[in-house]
Amino acid sequence: MDVTTQQVLSILFVLATVVLVYTARFLQSRAASRRRLRPMSAFERIPNWSSQAIEADRPLHLAFGSASIGEDNTATALANAELFHHIIEKNSAGDTPPALSTSAPTTVPLASAKVDAAWTGAGAELNVHWYPQGKRALGYAAGVTAVIGDDTPSAHILAGSFGAELGLILDSARRNRQGTLAVSDQLEGQAVAYAMADEVLIGEELFAAPAYVSDEGRAAADAIVMDVWRALLMILVTLALVLGVAGQLPWFSWQLLAVVVVVALVLGAILWTIQRRRDQ
Amino acid sequence: MNRRPRVGISMAAMTGFLVGVTAILSLLLGDNPALFGGGAQADALAQDFALPGDVLLRLLVIVLALSIVFGIANLLIVHTRRVAHGRLMSGVLLASFAGAIGWHITRRGDTSLLETIQLPIESALAALLCITLVAGGARILARRSDIWGLLFVLVVVVVLLGSLPLPELAPIAAFSDWLMRIPVQAGARAILLGIALGSIVVGVRALLGQDRSVRG
Repeated sequence: MDVTTQQVLSILFVLATVVLVYTARFLQSRAASRRRLRPMSAFERIPNWSSQAIEADRPLHLAFGSASIGEDNTATALANAELFHHIIEKNSAGDTPPALSTSAPTTVPLASAKVDAAWTGAGAELNVHWYPQGKRALGYAAGVTAVIGDDTPSAHILAGSFGAELGLILDSARRNRQGTLAVSDQLEGQAVAYAMADEVLIGEELFAAPAYVSDEGRAAADAIVMDVWRALLMILVTLALVLGVAGQLPWFSWQLLAVVVVVALVLGAILWTIQRRRDQ
Repeated sequence: MNRRPRVGISMAAMTGFLVGVTAILSLLLGDNPALFGGGAQADALAQDFALPGDVLLRLLVIVLALSIVFGIANLLIVHTRRVAHGRLMSGVLLASFAGAIGWHITRRGDTSLLETIQLPIESALAALLCITLVAGGARILARRSDIWGLLFVLVVVVVLLGSLPLPELAPIAAFSDWLMRIPVQAGARAILLGIALGSIVVGVRALLGQDRSVRG
């Protein structure tokens, strides 16, 4: 595929996502067509931890890791900020604002803006910890371990960009009997999170998180758009695999791809309508 | 808490939208005259499209550099205040900072401070991390007593056994290689694709000026 085709397809992909986002938001705003999100146990623990933090007058610890604005994990930092905004807002009934930590300098203003915008409770003393380590984050893990000892947070929500050093933080939290939810956009960190955290999110579930912790229809709509793209991707990968096995891949063309996408969208719309009628 | 006035939010959202659309169009359309039909006029048009993207990227680099400077300045102010309250460790941090700056100025290019202090400390932490991960892996069955937890432990055991240099374990090594090449690669790619899709949706939200960081 040449550069021009790639650029045209990229623009079309972005435009298609914009159209999908607005369509999903429109449908989600109508009560009759509102779609329920699949249950995830990780999100059911967050209100409990928040209540415990308020009752015990201890902070929640919200960690960005090395997710930063302006680098390849900017989207992770923005998704984290959205998730943390809702958690801070719901935690505002208490007197102790959450402790936020990051190892990226550009995330510090984002984190402090989150506390500033979302915290409506008393005692909003800025509690943002910056451990200037960047992606070589063992020093960050050591620093956060010190926070665990000093601030004794009620629970840790470690959602961002972490490597294997996440193990040090999770182990320290476990020894202090503090709850943990972890997810990382790095594969090493994701594996450690799965093995050692109390609750774990995997991959894109981080980006769907705001839909689970807020009542905003637009967040749920964004999660649905991700589901639609993922379903289309799975269909395309399966199709490519079948064509490859059957030796028909040379016949593959972008016109054929467009037809398949349209057919998949129509089928999806039909199945969705049937499901909605059944739910009613 | 202070909430931004509605006009400010609208302005921020509008600015975010304009900058986002300009950047994406400039990055996607710039520097490719073929998109405009080729020829001298198309070259000039492509360069014109690329210009705003370049300017915005340079601005981003400057902002990133400034954020580090501000971050360090803030760190120094906070720890200076703490020293005034008798916090010894903040004094150690300030002394280390001054020492490192002094070392860099007087012995330009000499990285022995990094090699003799920073690297051994990080190596010690890495060794500790190794033990922590083994202990965490061993506890997984207590934490997740389901089929996936069992599968996780089995794969770890197979990969560890496969990495042993024993000829008797050659079949396990071959199986471990296959495991890493096919199922693990497929799983890793699936996770990365999911993250990429999530990033695109978040990117579009930011592009439309509807992200919380813009809306307040």
